Amino acid sequence: MVEISIENLTKHYGALVALDNVSLKIASGEVFGLLGPNGAGKSTLLKTMVGILRPTTGTIRIGPIDIVTDPEKAKKMIGYLPENPSLYTGLTTQEFLQFVGKIRGVADDLLDQKISESLKTFGLEEKRNSLVGTLSKGMKQKVALIATSLHAPLVLVLDEPLTALDPKTRVSVKDWIGGQTNNGVTTILSTHDLDVAQTHAGRIAIIDHGKIVAVGDVESLRHMANTSSDAKLEDIFLRLTEEKGEGPARR
Amino acid sequence: MSLASPLRTVGVLMRYWVKGRFTKATIVGLCVGEAFGVIFTLFGSSTYLSFSNRVGLTAGLSEVAGSLILALYLVGLIQSGFNGGGLPVSSSDVDYVFTSPVPPREVFAAKVLLNSLTTVLFGFPPVIVLYLRFSAYYHTSMFTAILAGLVTLVFLVIGLLLSADITLSLGRGIGERKKLWRNLFIILVLVISLLPITLLIPGIPVEIAYVTRILPNGLAAILSVGLVSGTPGGFDYLFDLLLLFAWLGGFLILGVRMARGHFYELLEVSTPGAEKFDQPNQTSRLDSRGKSIWSIVRVKEKILISRTREARALFVNAMFLSGFLVIYALSGSFQSSPTSFLFILFIIGSFGSGTASRWIEKERLWILKSSPVSMRRYVKEVYRARVAPLLIYLIPVTIAVGVPLILSQLSTPSLLLGVVLALPGALEIAGITMAGGMFFASRYGQSSADDILSSQAQELADIRRFLFQTIINLIMVSPIILLVLVSEALATILGPGALPVLAVGLVSVSVVFTGLSINLLLNKAGDAITRREDL
Repeated sequence: MVEISIENLTKHYGALVALDNVSLKIASGEVFGLLGPNGAGKSTLLKTMVGILRPTTGTIRIGPIDIVTDPEKAKKMIGYLPENPSLYTGLTTQEFLQFVGKIRGVADDLLDQKISESLKTFGLEEKRNSLVGTLSKGMKQKVALIATSLHAPLVLVLDEPLTALDPKTRVSVKDWIGGQTNNGVTTILSTHDLDVAQTHAGRIAIIDHGKIVAVGDVESLRHMANTSSDAKLEDIFLRLTEEKGEGPARR
Repeated sequence: MSLASPLRTVGVLMRYWVKGRFTKATIVGLCVGEAFGVIFTLFGSSTYLSFSNRVGLTAGLSEVAGSLILALYLVGLIQSGFNGGGLPVSSSDVDYVFTSPVPPREVFAAKVLLNSLTTVLFGFPPVIVLYLRFSAYYHTSMFTAILAGLVTLVFLVIGLLLSADITLSLGRGIGERKKLWRNLFIILVLVISLLPITLLIPGIPVEIAYVTRILPNGLAAILSVGLVSGTPGGFDYLFDLLLLFAWLGGFLILGVRMARGHFYELLEVSTPGAEKFDQPNQTSRLDSRGKSIWSIVRVKEKILISRTREARALFVNAMFLSGFLVIYALSGSFQSSPTSFLFILFIIGSFGSGTASRWIEKERLWILKSSPVSMRRYVKEVYRARVAPLLIYLIPVTIAVGVPLILSQLSTPSLLLGVVLALPGALEIAGITMAGGMFFASRYGQSSADDILSSQAQELADIRRFLFQTIINLIMVSPIILLVLVSEALATILGPGALPVLAVGLVSVSVVFTGLSINLLLNKAGDAITRREDL
């Protein structure tokens, strides 16, 4: 189990400030929700955390390892699911998962077993030899989730894992997330689905215009937002982000 | 509805599509493309004329050659029509135009009109340059060149209409369900179009070739080449011209009639990045047990190449270029200058870099960048997997063209050295330009419009990439070309006795240079991926 520590993280795209002095601590085994309006900087934060983007300033530590200075070590511990995962459409499901497992360092004797188990869990056994390009959106999302967890990561970073899924697939994906967190995996979950955040996440951060505007459990967020004790997360979210206006920040 | 209404709708649709197509970036891109088109047309036509002069081709045989080339274009369009690509549509057409109350016939009219106009507009410069070159060779007037060019452009429009008609006919009998008929039709058109080739067989009656006179490709070739070569034709030309316009009118009327009904479901919508697969299920070819990460990366890459259209595209390009090389070799240019051989192989190398530039897996880089693998090494392994099929195609071509060349230079050792250097040099150039292609693909390739770069910015990036790629590739391969150029002088100074040592030495130098260049470019490609932010 590992904790995540983000300190004074800033990310600029030219004049655009995508992340503005973000600091967060996520405890080992915690499920951490990340909420924010479109363009708030959620995906940028997640991509920077997993080493896809380089921070302009600040540090990100996965356990004791700095992802900027030692990315290969840090990436071994992380499983990342992007918002719109694009897969190798010309590979079969089996081939794709074997490829991903291999580049993520899964041992040969474990890989086949892991793939078979995961395909069974997600009801994709019959699609083992189907080309990924011929699978439905929901099936592709399941394949991407399997790929994310093949190497048994200690940290899961999931960017909108439930987007555009049918209800049945949503249930299986939610169950899968629950299973991962029960195993003590530190999980960062970015979502627009406030219900999911409320159900799964112990603590939630609300990000707006690249800044963390609030962090805490639902109760403390209610307090910060000055809402009633029975206020829904939706009301809290709207209250905390309403005064910021539209459009990303600029230097 | 009044008569003006449909015309106005067609006008509105065309303006909408033109606005979408002609951004500042695409105009710059088109100008660059046109410039390259004109240069290649000049080079190709000069090569052909030199070839026809050397082997004594008559204007009649040039008509045959023209007819065959146009037939290939026609067959390609027919096939595209059968695949539903006769009327190219985008997903925004489906979302906004097809859901509007505009009658399908007006959508059809606007589509074919715009496609025809753009074809004529962009086809005009290279086509006119082609016939001006021919008219200069045959000492005919510029007017005949322009007339010949216009005839060819009319043929190109006929091809587009035919393709659109075939797409529309899919729902009217010879559709997907009757693949056999469809293939038979393509074969029939191909056979009739290729009939002129029988003229090359001694004793075959000339009348057979006349069969193609009734087809658009035969008519266009006879008219264009006949006019530009000064072959007397008189009323025959007028009759042929009328027949050609009859085809045009016929296909137009047919299309408009068929487009009265709803035809949208017949069209193939072009979705960027989407691949079509014939077989949804495949036997797994990737067994990771006992293999290294990098061998799995190579296997993955080979599987992707073979299952997508890339392998087919590479094969078609290689075949096209092989044919061109054979004509070029027979034209006699090789004998006079071995460096021209390098120039041609540089073109082949550019095709290699074109293949490489299709590689960028930008949308899938999340898989790699969130994995603990070195991007430099990853790019190198992808290169290894991709350069192999390229060399498989290029080596036989190089040997086929090079061996007769070596044999013909045996009596002049100083020239022989140049040829011996040029053969591996050609493959080295292909290797370097492919690595260059991968570097530029890594740096600029494929960004989605909803990312940080807008679609127009991406188009500009593509143009910049193309220009940089061409310039950098030229710079990178220039030392190899230089070695070939100085080889003749070196051989003369050092004498025939030193030739074997000189050959081994210079080949080694060029191989080492190639290795270092490829390594440098691939390292830069890996670093470019690591630094990319638009993911």
